[in-house]
Amino acid sequence: MLTVYRKLLHLYPAEHREQFGEEMFAVLLDVRAEGVNRKLIARGNLYIREIAGLISGALLEHLHNLVGVDARLSLSTRRFSMRNGFRFPKATAVLMMVILAGIALAIEKARVIQAAYSNGNPPLVPLEAARFTFFPTLVLLLMIFYAFGLVGWAILFALRRSGVHRLADIAGDQK
Amino acid sequence: MAGNDMSYEAIMESLPLTEPVLLILLSLADQPRHGYSILKDIERMSDGRVVLSTGTLYGALRRLLDDDWIERFEEEDTSRGKQSYRLTPHGRRNLQLEVTRMKKLTRLASLRVATRES
Repeated sequence: MLTVYRKLLHLYPAEHREQFGEEMFAVLLDVRAEGVNRKLIARGNLYIREIAGLISGALLEHLHNLVGVDARLSLSTRRFSMRNGFRFPKATAVLMMVILAGIALAIEKARVIQAAYSNGNPPLVPLEAARFTFFPTLVLLLMIFYAFGLVGWAILFALRRSGVHRLADIAGDQK
Repeated sequence: MAGNDMSYEAIMESLPLTEPVLLILLSLADQPRHGYSILKDIERMSDGRVVLSTGTLYGALRRLLDDDWIERFEEEDTSRGKQSYRLTPHGRRNLQLEVTRMKKLTRLASLRVATRES
């Protein structure tokens, strides 16, 4: 179980893990020691609660880092607590560079392969033109993201937490 | 931290508190505690009705630290990995405001219920 806890703690953002990881593991050890003397069902419930708490906690911390939303256990009972600034994670820039380098490398490899097999090695069967699906897929993905964004905004609007409402609140305070 | 500069209106905007957050603050109101001690105290205070998981507790603690309601410190007699938490003056003031708000509400509720019964 301790190995499971350790692995689940790795789901948390590095910043959170660095600040609380060791401490959380110490608490998990205490909770586990407390559960040893319990009956099997009670012990099972305890483990399930801790595992579910770690998974949901890690997801919420990532959500908080990505979009600045504390969707659960925010200080007030209001459902959302939006942070003023949108934070672009540093890791994203590195990841994008790695992906870009991977694509460039793949293109270069393809060129080398094309050059090696272009002469004197005819295909056994006639080649069919590949269907070009990149742009339709891209458009479809954009539409899906747009739809999600629209739904999210509608929820915020319904909760009176949209940017329009926040601006109205600021304007109200300044009067 | 921005939390200390919050106006009365801004603080009232963050009320009412969720039950777990209120219980965490109440747990730290009388003495500093470390994570496991907070979990056990909340369980005791709520007669076993509220049992927080470690993940939930630390999500709330992170948020309370960010907003300067609580502070973290290392007690000399505790081992590494058992940092303690205590209320900041700002957090204590906000907790008092929440308690006052709840008192008013329960007084009003008692009056209304009594009026209805009579």
